[in-house]
Amino acid sequence: MAKTSTMLASLVVVLLPFAVLGSTCVSPDVKTETYTTTDGMASMDTVFVVEFSLKCQQKVENLNLYADINGRTVPATKTNKADNYQISFSEEHKNLPSGSYQVRLYDDEGYSALKKAQRSDSESQIKPVHTFHISHPGVWKGPLLQSEFVASMVAILVWYFAYTAKAKLQSN
Amino acid sequence: MSSKQAKNKQLTKEEELLLQDFSRNVSTKSSALFYGNALIVSAIPIWLFWRIHQMDLYQSGILFAVGTIISTYLVALAYKNVKFVLKHKIALKREDAVSREMTKKFADDKKMTKKEKDERILWKKNEVADYEATTFSIFYNNALYLALLIVCSFYVLRSVGPTFNYLASVGLAAGLLALFSTSTK
Repeated sequence: MAKTSTMLASLVVVLLPFAVLGSTCVSPDVKTETYTTTDGMASMDTVFVVEFSLKCQQKVENLNLYADINGRTVPATKTNKADNYQISFSEEHKNLPSGSYQVRLYDDEGYSALKKAQRSDSESQIKPVHTFHISHPGVWKGPLLQSEFVASMVAILVWYFAYTAKAKLQSN
Repeated sequence: MSSKQAKNKQLTKEEELLLQDFSRNVSTKSSALFYGNALIVSAIPIWLFWRIHQMDLYQSGILFAVGTIISTYLVALAYKNVKFVLKHKIALKREDAVSREMTKKFADDKKMTKKEKDERILWKKNEVADYEATTFSIFYNNALYLALLIVCSFYVLRSVGPTFNYLASVGLAAGLLALFSTSTK
């Protein structure tokens, strides 16, 4: 009897990882393509769009993914291509300065654990499915000096030279 | 009347030169130079309002023509006024140099009388001052006109529509230019 239970226990120990691995993605192969807003003149907000393909070592059906960027979680939407996902979010220009942003991808399990950790306000040590970086070069806020300002300054400067020359001519 | 005419005829060449020197009238050549320059400078705003303020060149053709003509007149007036003020000052400043140069030039000429030499010097002085005053007046007024125009159209009248902006900034720039030119300082 004891032997049987020991055998069962060892079977569970051996098989459990496979049972768990059935729903989680192991050593995923991720290819990302990112877009970030660079023209601050024409757009109100900075937008990050990441399209990525995620291939797991084993076949995982209906994998829901969530992305965590700077403590902000957004769900990844599946695109019409197989194993392709997209995440996007926007913020005001000043809230998304230039730099590198770490994106952590979580599956359902990891996401709920993350939420739980966030609720209890404890530092989460949940291992994400995958981590990658978005590098954002920052937005262009237009030229430092407006062209009409430069034109005015040049015109006023030329007039100033003319004026001083005139004053010199008229002095006795 | 006849005595006045007779008096006029008696004017010496020197007196005529002096009169010319102090008169506000400008020669035809000078006048053509003034109006030609004034026209070019007054036409510059057309480009500004066509390319930068996006006004239609053909639709606003009449407006541009009227604005340019009025501005040409006022700018030419300013050229004349500034030239008149500057001419005497320049003549005073260049007097010594001109007479020195002319005296050196006539030093070998024994046939020329002193009166003739003086006349030549006066004439040269007038010519030098006239030329310098004309060119400087054009330069000064162009610089002031364009500075006034740019500041008016881009800053003072930035919120109004381009049509009114054109009329007002050209009118203001040319009007102020003409007004400033009447000051004698």
